[in-house]
Parts: sequence; structure tokens; C-alpha cells
Amino acid sequence: MLEVVRWGMVIDLKRCTGCHTCTVACKAEHHTPPGVFWAKVVRVESGKYPTVIRQAVPLLCMHCKEPECEKVCPTGATKKKADGTIIVDSKLCVGCRYCAVACPYGARCFTPEWKDYFTGEKKPSSQFAEYSKKKWLEESDRGVVSKCNFCEERVADGKKPACVNACPTEARTFGDLDDPESEVSQLIKKRRGMQLHPEYGTDACVYYLPAR
Amino acid sequence: MAQSASSSQRGVCVMQQEDFKPGARTQMEWGFGGRRRWRDGALLMALFLGGIGAGQFVVSTWLIHSVESALVGLVVVGVGKTAAHLVYLGQPKRFYRLFLRPKTSWISRGLIFMVVFVAFGAAYLAPDIGFDWVPWETGSSLSDLLLAGAILSAFLVMVYDGFVLLSCKSITAWNTALMPPLFFTYAIAGGTAMTYLTLIAMGSEIPNQDTLTTIDSVLLVSLFALLVIYILNMTTSTATARESLRKLTTTKVAIAFVGVAIFAGLLVPLSLTLYHEVAATETVASVLLAVSSVLELSGDLSVRHSILRAGLHAPVFSEGL
Repeated sequence: MLEVVRWGMVIDLKRCTGCHTCTVACKAEHHTPPGVFWAKVVRVESGKYPTVIRQAVPLLCMHCKEPECEKVCPTGATKKKADGTIIVDSKLCVGCRYCAVACPYGARCFTPEWKDYFTGEKKPSSQFAEYSKKKWLEESDRGVVSKCNFCEERVADGKKPACVNACPTEARTFGDLDDPESEVSQLIKKRRGMQLHPEYGTDACVYYLPAR
Repeated sequence: MAQSASSSQRGVCVMQQEDFKPGARTQMEWGFGGRRRWRDGALLMALFLGGIGAGQFVVSTWLIHSVESALVGLVVVGVGKTAAHLVYLGQPKRFYRLFLRPKTSWISRGLIFMVVFVAFGAAYLAPDIGFDWVPWETGSSLSDLLLAGAILSAFLVMVYDGFVLLSCKSITAWNTALMPPLFFTYAIAGGTAMTYLTLIAMGSEIPNQDTLTTIDSVLLVSLFALLVIYILNMTTSTATARESLRKLTTTKVAIAFVGVAIFAGLLVPLSLTLYHEVAATETVASVLLAVSSVLELSGDLSVRHSILRAGLHAPVFSEGL
């Protein structure tokens, strides 16, 4: 019998220091082009004087249970896998970007072409940059939309997603949301895990544990 | 070379600033000034041409029975809108895939409406444009059926872009029930203006001119009312909607929205349309009507541009996380 899982992630905002290791780990893992960030960290201020805090909030695709992006995609390139992961098939995408506009979390990136960080004749591109470009063009395409895929190839090998693996403060936990005994389910239950924008009815699979 | 290098780097910077911005984020995908700057404007042109072309077909066939003007409308949609969509797409070779998900996607639905409209419209006009071998004649019941199909699908082409914007839940400036009626009314008004311009350019007389002028004036007043409601609605909506309104009224976008769309595109054409009836000579009346039509069309384009540019995504996280 097939084991049914629903992958999800819990991010502890109390632990996140905003070091951007997840951003870099994701870029190194997926060879995303310059200007394309599947995992990012933004800094927000909340509260009122004198109890104001400046908080780092990591963002990625929320792999929603009711994904807006999948609903609006006219080509069927955006798909929901049995384990709840939302993926984009770059061979089917036409680059209309309806998904990028409809996604409330800004998780989707459009790459019209590979734009190097440096321009001009003598580009100080490293070997790694050239390798990244080659890999990206092999695995994805120009003129299509891309996004976080919860590192499906790593997860299939029994590993954790690159951002979870690299996080130095262990702010991220990855696991099965459908298993009530899993670490993610326990964290959500015990520490009041929250989804972003529950009012849109997307039922996001990435939860945040409050900073205070 | 140096200039293109700097604009290329600016492109990367724009992306990074928006991606790591904590507050409301400007949508960077549709319309002029998007990620691909000018090329993304092709989508705006597609929405504009779809609206005015379908509107022109409806006005020309239903109200004034002008085959030439209806044909121009059909070509604007069939060629202009299609070409604009192809220019916009990241992978134009796969365009056929856009039709595959009409159950859930408004883009699929809209493009199917467009194909149905062009097919019915072309079939209806065929006997009048030289294809007299077709087994129906203008005025026959089959021809009337084709016209009904063409007009119905034209209505859907005019209104679907409103639904495309309405379906984006996190962009409060778009996620309002006013979008479909606003885009529909603009399409009809733009269609009327296109009809005037086509007939004036051909040197033809404008049949039912009084009715058409009255309809045009009513449409302009309705559009003004819809825009006022749209603005008032935003003032009482979320913080993101108020930020969109600020963008529409106080930033560079205000030139397009307040200056071109409201003043030049609505108020001036309304005065000219009313004044042209009392113009001393027919030539003066025609010139006034042509100027009014050009202004109306520029207002139509500007309002669509402004609404796209004022599209702000609500901040991803709310206060107090």
C-alpha cells in the first residue's frame, strides 16, 4: 500500500536570524538565474513603541492545498503532486504569468533569459556561474515560470530540502502534515503555527511559529 | 552598448528590490514597465485591442449595419489581439496550450471566446466580403444565427479581461466586482469611437449618428460614474487598496489615470460629442467627432494601463506575526 504524505514546513520565527543561508542554499541547489529567488528572507517591523521588534521572515512557495496558481494556469503546467507539492512543468509552460500574478505569496519567478550579474566584454563569471547557467538551461527553459519545488529530488532520496538542511539555527522543520505525530504537526499544535493569508482559502502547507 | 548594459542591470535590480520588499509589492508581470519593460506592454495592447475590436464589431453590426467597420473590428481582434498575445508570451510556440484549461482559467476561457467570436464573425461577414459561395446569405436565418453567436461571443471577449483581473485575490485594486462592468463599458465606448474613426477615414456617412452619439455620451457618463465608484471603493478598502489609489492619483501613473484617462479620455470627449451637434459646418462636426474618438481611445488605453500599473499585492505577512 502506498504511504500517503502531505509535505509541509514549519518556520520558527523566534529562531530565524535572517542570515539568508536558505536563499543561498536554494540557489546553489537549483542553479537559479541571477535575480530569481525561490527562497528569500524579508525583514519586517511589528509592534508599537516600546515593544517593537524587527523580524526576519523567510518566504518560499507555500505549496497550498488549494493553490490559486494551479487554478488559473491555462496550460496545465502547474500541477499538484500526490504528496501535496506544487510543481511547474517547464516544458508545458507558455510564460503567460497568470500564476505569478495570482499567487498571493509572490513565490513565482519568471525568467525571460539568463541575465549575468556582470555585463560587458570581460565578465568575471566564475566556473560555478557557467556551470549553473548550463544546468539551468538543461533542466528549465527561458520564458517560463519557476518556483520552489520543496527539493523534490532530494526528498525522493530521503534527504531534507536544501534550505532546511542548511539553516544554521534549525529554524525550519520539514515533514508530513497528515501525520499527527510528526514533528511539524506537533510544532503547529503546541506552538500555535500560523499560515500566511488564511483568508484567501489557500490552506498553505508552510506554517510560521510566532516570534513572541 | 553602455546604455543597454545599464538598463540590463537595472532590470535585475528592480527584481531584487521587489522580491525582498516587505510591504505591498507591485505586480511586475503585466503591462508596460514590467519585468521585460516594453515587451510586457504587449499584454496591455492585447486587452485593449480585444476590447475595442469586439466593441466595434457589435456597434457596427447591431446599430449601424456597416460591413466595412465590422470587418475592421474583426481584424483588430483576430490579428491585432492575437499578435499582441504572441509577442507577450515567454514561449509563443506553445500558444495552443493556452486553450486547455477553460474549466478553471479565465485566460483559457477568454481565448476560446476570442476564437469563437472570430469564427462566427468571419462566417457572418463572408457573403458581404466576396465569399459568395458560402451556403447562406445576409439576412437569412442562418446568417442571423451566426450574427447572434458573434455578438454573444464578442460580449464575452469584452468582459473576460475584467474577470481575469478580478480572479487575483491578493491584488485588492483588481479583486473588485467593478472590473468586469468597467472593462465591458470601456470596450463598448472604445468600439463606438473606432466605428466613428473607421467611417470618417473611409469618407462614409455615419448611419444612425444621433443614436450613436447619444449612446456614446451615455457610455462616457457611465464610465465616469464607474471610475468614481472605483476610487471611492478603494478609499474605504484595505491599506493595499489605498496604496494603489495613492499610486493612481499621486505618482507617475496619475498622468495616465487622471490626466489622460479621466480628463482627456472622458471629460473632453464628452464635451466634444455634445458640442459637435451644434457645430457650424459638417466638416467641423466630423473633425470634432474624430478628435473626440481619438481621445476616447487614448483614455481607454490609459485606464487599462493605470489599473495594471496600480496592481499591488497585499503584503505577504500581516502585522504581529
